[in-house]
Amino acid sequence: MVRIETQPWETMVEHARRVYPNECCGVMLGKASNGEKRVSRAVPLDNAWQGEQRARYELRPEDLLAAEREARAQGLELIGIYHSHPDCDAYFSETDLKNSCPWYSFVVLSIQRGAFGHANSWLPNAEQTAAEKEELICGE
Amino acid sequence: MAKILIPTPLRQYAGRQDAVELNGSTVGEVLDALTSSFQDLRRHLYNDEGRLRSFVNVYVNDEDIRYLSKDATPVGENDTISIVPSIAGGLHAG
Repeated sequence: MVRIETQPWETMVEHARRVYPNECCGVMLGKASNGEKRVSRAVPLDNAWQGEQRARYELRPEDLLAAEREARAQGLELIGIYHSHPDCDAYFSETDLKNSCPWYSFVVLSIQRGAFGHANSWLPNAEQTAAEKEELICGE
Repeated sequence: MAKILIPTPLRQYAGRQDAVELNGSTVGEVLDALTSSFQDLRRHLYNDEGRLRSFVNVYVNDEDIRYLSKDATPVGENDTISIVPSIAGGLHAG
């Protein structure tokens, strides 16, 4: 289960709305214990996809490395990755799956006509062949 | 000894350590030492063919080893090795 506190949740939603109709992406930092992941900080990152960004995103590994260092410096952990699906449901697409990493939670925010719709969290497997839906609690 | 930073989700397979110092003069040797010391880590970093999984990037300090000498990239005792995933996605392919 992943629980996102109010401030990082607002950061994520605002980011997704700001870059609409493109996809946004970023990382979630926090703490994990006893099977519960608690996100206390969201860090918006650049969408580095070289092309149409309405339906694609890419994180630069250097940005992830910097985020991991920042998390360590703050005594936090890199809990997961978030991105948006403009005018589409918050499912885990084939493209999401084939470009994922099984170590993290992947939160997808559905943005419909510029407004937040709904969100889901996904846990992809190591073979990048399937993703399991994870309980997600936002804004608490 | 080179220091290798362990990503949070993999620490459970590395004795709950966030960093490990290991002997080795190249990245390949240090990774071998890591997965020999913590054998459960191996399946998370390597596929069945023994290659690093497609989403695994390795950095020495701020440099991606793909742009250096890959596994043969030399490491010194003051170097830090980081394991950084490749992540992308989106609604559609293309």
